[in-house]
Amino acid sequence: MSGELLEIENYSGAFRSPTGELTPVLHEVSYRLKAGALTAVVGETGSGKSLVALSVLGIQPPSFVRSSGRILFRGVDLLGLDEKAMRKIRGAEISMVFQDARAALNPVFTVGRQLADVYQLQHGGGRSAAMKQAIEALRRVSIPEPARRARQYPHEFSGGMAQRAMIAMAALICEPSLLILDEPTTGLDVTIQSDIMELITDLCRVGGLTTCLITHDLGIVAETCDEVVVMNAGRVVETGSAQAIFTQPQDPYTRRLLAASQLVEAAA
Amino acid sequence: MSPRDAVGEISPELGAIRQVRRRPKLSWSMRIGGAVLIFYVAVALISLVWTPYDPLTPGIGDGYDAPSAAFLLGTDRLGSDMLSRLMVGARYNLGITLTAVTIALCIGTTIGVIAGYHGGAIDTVVLRAVEIFQAFPGLLFAMLVVQAVGPGIVMLVVQAVGPGIVNVILVLSFVGIPDYLRLARGEIHSRRSWQYAEAARMVGNPPWRVAFRHLLPNSIGPLLAFTSINAAFVALITASLGFLGLGLGPNTPEWGNMIARGQDGVMTGQWWVSFFPGLAILGLTGAFYLLGDAISDLTDPRRRR
Repeated sequence: MSGELLEIENYSGAFRSPTGELTPVLHEVSYRLKAGALTAVVGETGSGKSLVALSVLGIQPPSFVRSSGRILFRGVDLLGLDEKAMRKIRGAEISMVFQDARAALNPVFTVGRQLADVYQLQHGGGRSAAMKQAIEALRRVSIPEPARRARQYPHEFSGGMAQRAMIAMAALICEPSLLILDEPTTGLDVTIQSDIMELITDLCRVGGLTTCLITHDLGIVAETCDEVVVMNAGRVVETGSAQAIFTQPQDPYTRRLLAASQLVEAAA
Repeated sequence: MSPRDAVGEISPELGAIRQVRRRPKLSWSMRIGGAVLIFYVAVALISLVWTPYDPLTPGIGDGYDAPSAAFLLGTDRLGSDMLSRLMVGARYNLGITLTAVTIALCIGTTIGVIAGYHGGAIDTVVLRAVEIFQAFPGLLFAMLVVQAVGPGIVMLVVQAVGPGIVNVILVLSFVGIPDYLRLARGEIHSRRSWQYAEAARMVGNPPWRVAFRHLLPNSIGPLLAFTSINAAFVALITASLGFLGLGLGPNTPEWGNMIARGQDGVMTGQWWVSFFPGLAILGLTGAFYLLGDAISDLTDPRRRR
């Protein structure tokens, strides 16, 4: 088996407006995620990085129309799978952490119950066993007093705590082969951001989890990632190892991005 | 005192406050509504095993006996004991109301959730059907439907409790279904693209689970609140049908029926025959209204403080 877990090939598509006009948003997007590596997809807002990630899970907005391309996961084209087969992939094989964790948690259930529900859905078993797993997962993402926290509702969690709980759900409860994080640190305090990133890198390194980090924060990328994919306006402009991207950026857009983030001196 | 001391004094208290997990405080409307409803249920249950006199036997008193030690709430024109009839009436009014509301809630919500979650053609067809249904005067349409198909479907139940009650229940639940359907449909439709719905799909939940297990619980508050207020309305209609002599037999101790029977007495000063059933209806509708109000406050976790 080759080293790639996920291959996106020539993925193109457009948004269809209510009047039927097509606005192309993705142009021949191709990149690969190496098994066991932490790959960053960087680019500014609207560059299509999240849209590609949502397409991997088959939860792209209904107004998006694909015109070409394949998304190969372990050699199987995900775009060719039906809804039922896709459901077996979601969570169990590929799971995702959203940007706003507090909006992604259901407000009427306790955090512990939500994690336990997912555990039962993925692995079966009884409720109390699932709850034990949920509390254990919360403990592993360094949530203090996990047993008490598990009984609380999402609105009682801070943004950083909620994001930890989401990571516990997506990475530890689901036990996927591929974890996609869609701007997991946006909207958090800087100190919390670095805590969360530390947690993510730990999970990736220790657990051997293939991780795809979608972000526009190059500071995070420089510190943690192995591979970098730079996207701009629906195109992949450059891919390479983090080392190469930060020291010898080839594409003018990458250079401008680095200059704007004021990381050039630090990296060079 | 240095600032540090002050902090030292305050912090243990703060710690104590943080640890106490306060239970939601019950509002007064919840307590009163709940107490009244429990009282009615208790009366209905007691009437199954004990009433002061037989409610259906006339001539126990002389007719139009004023409230006294022997007949606490007096007797009606035929000399039946009012208290016994009121107690048995609780069974009819409460039973009809709760059954009709439950049927409407279950059917309306289920169809509404499916329509709201799926959207598209199913949603459109269901909504248009509901609009056509609601364009007819509700009671008339429901009466016709029940007349046409009701007895055939529910023959077994009909034989058990009598055709009158079944018809009244079916009519009332039928009229209620569209309201529940629209409410549930709107709730689910507005939530189905929220992030936690997305997150639920992301971990591999099938559509029905996302709709019923993840989204519907978020709508329990509005649905229960509406159910309670709808129950008040249904209780009133039940009594109105009884008052008009529709559905139930003429000697049934149903409260609306009893008010109708006491009408003549009110003119000549025997107020108790209509007054007490009226009070019972007022209490029941009031309790449902109060509960509905309180439930909407209680079921929203963000409003629990």
